[in-house]
Amino acid sequence: MVIIILAESAYTVKEYDQVVITQFGKPVGDAVTTPGLKFKAPFIQKTNYFEKRYMEWDGDPNQLPTRDKKFIFVDTYARWQITDPLQFFIRLTDERGAHSRLDDIIDGETRDYIANHNIEEAVRTSNREPIPSSETVEEVGDTLVEIQVGRQRIQEMILKSANQRASDLGIVILDFRLKRLNYVEEVREQVYQRMQSERFRIAERFRSEGQGEASKINGEKERDLKTIQSEAFRRAEEIMGQADARATAIYAGAYDKSAASRNLYSFVKSMETFEMTFDSTTTIILSTDSELYKYLIGLE
Amino acid sequence: MTNNPFNGYRLPPQWKKYLSNFRVILLVILAIIVLWTALFQVGPEEVGVITRFGKYVRAVDPGLNVKVPIIERVYKVPVERQQKQEFGFRTLRAGIQTQYSQAGYEDESLMLTGDLNLANVEWVVQYRVDNPYNYLFKVRDPEGTLRDISEATMRQIVGDRTVNEVLTVGRTEIASSVHEAIQISCNEYSLGFTIEQVVLQDVNPPDPVKDAFNAVNEAQQEKETLINQAKSEYNRIIPRARGQAQETIQKAEGYAAERVNNALGEATRFDALYSEYIKAPDVTKRRLYLETLQDVIPKLGHKIITDEKGSNILPLLQMQLNNK
Repeated sequence: MVIIILAESAYTVKEYDQVVITQFGKPVGDAVTTPGLKFKAPFIQKTNYFEKRYMEWDGDPNQLPTRDKKFIFVDTYARWQITDPLQFFIRLTDERGAHSRLDDIIDGETRDYIANHNIEEAVRTSNREPIPSSETVEEVGDTLVEIQVGRQRIQEMILKSANQRASDLGIVILDFRLKRLNYVEEVREQVYQRMQSERFRIAERFRSEGQGEASKINGEKERDLKTIQSEAFRRAEEIMGQADARATAIYAGAYDKSAASRNLYSFVKSMETFEMTFDSTTTIILSTDSELYKYLIGLE
Repeated sequence: MTNNPFNGYRLPPQWKKYLSNFRVILLVILAIIVLWTALFQVGPEEVGVITRFGKYVRAVDPGLNVKVPIIERVYKVPVERQQKQEFGFRTLRAGIQTQYSQAGYEDESLMLTGDLNLANVEWVVQYRVDNPYNYLFKVRDPEGTLRDISEATMRQIVGDRTVNEVLTVGRTEIASSVHEAIQISCNEYSLGFTIEQVVLQDVNPPDPVKDAFNAVNEAQQEKETLINQAKSEYNRIIPRARGQAQETIQKAEGYAAERVNNALGEATRFDALYSEYIKAPDVTKRRLYLETLQDVIPKLGHKIITDEKGSNILPLLQMQLNNK
């Protein structure tokens, strides 16, 4: 008998439990939130166990329109905790009741906030400057549009509104996140097409850049070639001209000293010309009047 | 008690002996059960967390340990074991040639980038339990919670980057940002996890646009090729032209030297001649003339000498030509 009464009045509370004692279905006293061995009135009082840990809530994946009329697929999650077991017991009875209320509250808030923002606001968090991956930034599309609110703020706002609506339920939502966010299947095809055309544009740009760069190098080659050749020609002509000038000056200095030297020069040159131009095919008719043969006739 | 059927029942003596033995056996069995429930082993990578009537009392190290039977309970937490979660793929069979499966996990890996493009990101989160108390008593389903945190965080980080960053330059930066952010969330949630590493695995454009991304790579290669070809053509032509230019200039310099030296030589020779010539111009001139003709005339073919008195030279010419 003693054993039975003891077994009926003693109960343990685990680290992650909290217990509400009810008497004929009516809660009595404060909730028991500290772990250990506890006692209650046997038979007439009953224990109702609740979780003290953070619990999971996973939103039903949903298709929602954004403010810019884009349909996106949104999957959310939250973590929540029973902070007031008594209130929780009165208002929601059990976890199933809580989940159903959380579905209503969080899904509703998510729908509202997504519908009030453009898609970028839900995707992006900050206005950070992207790291460029190529020098042709504008073609590669390494730019991000300016956002006003951002994912983090939207999550925080949904969390705040949801908590306000859940404030009398004895629970607190600790964190709310947009887990997955994506285009709906039908839109994805169009996005792929856009991505493809974007990539092809970039590819064309690269090709054209290559051709342009090659033409530039080709031009440089022609320029350098002509420059080198003409500079060499100019330099050579200068050198030769200067040499010609010097030679002319030297000749003039030697030959143009006096009337006698001029005379001698033309005489010597004529003689040289004879030597160079006469050969065996030449026929010469010499008069005995000439300097060479005048003595043929006889000494004068 | 009088109703007890065993009361006053006379047992046979051999049964009595069995009964006393039975008590001993019972005691031994009880002792074994007590020992069995009191003693427990904690593995080398584990920590044992003990609760009494549900309340945390102590943690014990690896080895053989004792607890009070029934009222104390032990939870074993593998604190030293590195655990991992895979996203976008699953390891089918780990081994020398590990097999992976990607099929069916596209929902996990397909995500929106900041410029509203799509990318397939696969990653691994390696973690360890570093606070067994939090791990056991703070969050229900800590592993599932970590999965949720990882997915949400990765999407948030990728959502702030361009598709190019995600696919190329930003990989390590994304991994470290996600690592940091997941650790912060774990601490906020009191999950009792320490994140050891976040590793990005395959990061690819979605299958339908892979070709287009490859086309960009090809075009980039093509660009490099065109530039290299032009450069090699430049290198083929220009150094040779430089050499040829040098040649032209050297030749000109050679010409110049020759021209000047010739001039100097001729001038000096002329000067020498001249200085003698002016001493006796007539004789010298005549001498030079005669010496020249002396050299020249023997080389000539026909030599005809006429006298102004012998008027007709034609017959003579005729005769000479016939002789030939």
